[in-house]
Amino acid sequence: MVVSKMNKDAQMRAAINQKLIETGERERLKELLRAKLIECGWKDQLKAHCKEVIKEKGLEHVTVDDLVAEITPKGRGKEYKLCERKCGLRHDLFSLLLVQVFFFFNKEKHSF
Amino acid sequence: MPPLSSGQRGGEGRWQPSEVPWTHTNIPPTCVQPCCRPLCYEQSEHRLHKSSQMKMEEMSLSGLDNSKLEAIAQEIYADLVEDSCLGFCFEVHRAVKCGYFFLDDTDPESMKDFEIVDQPGLDIFGQVFNQWKSKECVCPNCSRSIAASRFAPHLEKCLGMGRNSSRIANRRIANSNNMNKSESDQEDNDDINDNDWSYGSEKKAKKRKSDKLWYLPFQNPNSPRRSKSLKHKNGELSNSDPFKYNNSTGISYETLGPEELRSLLTTQCGVISEHTKKMCTRSLRCPQHTDEQRRAVRIYFLGPSAVLPEVESSLDNDSFDMTDSQALISRLQWDGSSDLSPSDSGSSKTSENQGWGLGTNSSESRKTKKKKSHLSLVGTASGLGSNKKKKPKPPAPPTPSIYDDIN
Repeated sequence: MVVSKMNKDAQMRAAINQKLIETGERERLKELLRAKLIECGWKDQLKAHCKEVIKEKGLEHVTVDDLVAEITPKGRGKEYKLCERKCGLRHDLFSLLLVQVFFFFNKEKHSF
Repeated sequence: MPPLSSGQRGGEGRWQPSEVPWTHTNIPPTCVQPCCRPLCYEQSEHRLHKSSQMKMEEMSLSGLDNSKLEAIAQEIYADLVEDSCLGFCFEVHRAVKCGYFFLDDTDPESMKDFEIVDQPGLDIFGQVFNQWKSKECVCPNCSRSIAASRFAPHLEKCLGMGRNSSRIANRRIANSNNMNKSESDQEDNDDINDNDWSYGSEKKAKKRKSDKLWYLPFQNPNSPRRSKSLKHKNGELSNSDPFKYNNSTGISYETLGPEELRSLLTTQCGVISEHTKKMCTRSLRCPQHTDEQRRAVRIYFLGPSAVLPEVESSLDNDSFDMTDSQALISRLQWDGSSDLSPSDSGSSKTSENQGWGLGTNSSESRKTKKKKSHLSLVGTASGLGSNKKKKPKPPAPPTPSIYDDIN
């Protein structure tokens, strides 16, 4: 049961995700997120961090992996949460996302 | 970032490509087919049971659905953020490799130069407010300290290079010349050449001032128009204003003593103008007055036995049979009226009177010339220009209309 549940969960999640992509909602949400992040200065903070990393590693030898490894955790960390709160990301974007999810789920419900 | 197709999920292992996506087109195994009804009864029961179970599961799930959904939403959201991060990393990496990542930086020295200033009394650039109000500049020409806002006009005047400065200078010169003339008259009474008496010069100066003030409300004193009109009006004024020119050419005989009178009369024309009651200061041969007039004046002042400066063998000698007063009156009244009937039938006089009465004609007689120059004030355009040139200071004669009123 638990496995099936988990399966179901996974399935549901997958289905919803797919639905989002299909209708293009995911892209729209992504753009919205980007705009919000720039607005609250998250991008500038990340850029400053990038500069430090690059100066450390040397301009010539920076790789994508380095950057990703360094920046992603920072990007999801405290500053991000602050930014989130500042520009009301959770309020706007997340609620929007939630609505979408609910909508798709309700559509899918009868097919359970 | 390019949109990911449904089958892929780069590196995150959300679902495997082999997994069949669950769409609504999938028919769950619990659907009942009509053909195998008896057989399916058990199956349907089984299915029902199962479905009810499922429903029950769902019911139990439904309470958690919201939280689940929220969890799902959370996960999707986290995905989005991570995608953004990745995208940002790619951009930075590209910028680094293409070499434009550090382009928008400035060196720290410049940064310090242009730092925002936050002190009281200064703006963010570090400038003082109101700095130029109290600032004083030193003029390189006259070495005076001038307020900054007045510096440009002062320099214009100081160097004499602006538009107005030449005009102002010209006016000043004209003024000073006139003033000098009038002032020197006060000093030199014996000077034959100057036509002004002390009394007259003051009057003239005052008159000129008042005339200038009168013009001021209508025009800017420094504009070119002003100077033109001034010239024109000065010319007109000089011609039209009888008082002015009689000032310049006449002497008031009231202030003179007998000795002075005699001396004057021996050297000057001395004919008294009717309008200003002043004596003509021109020479004995002054063309504006006749010998008759001169004689009359001398007789008037010095008595019948006065020594006349010139002995005339004119026909007018007969006219002196009349009494002095009558003669004098008749002579004094030659200025004006056309209805004069001089008892002395001096042909020259009558002709002059007539010429006078017909002052509007363009003739060459002096009287008409006088009238002409006066007419210019009224605005009639006669052949005055030529007359003006010949006699720069013609005494202003009255027009017939004006003098009809007077007489």
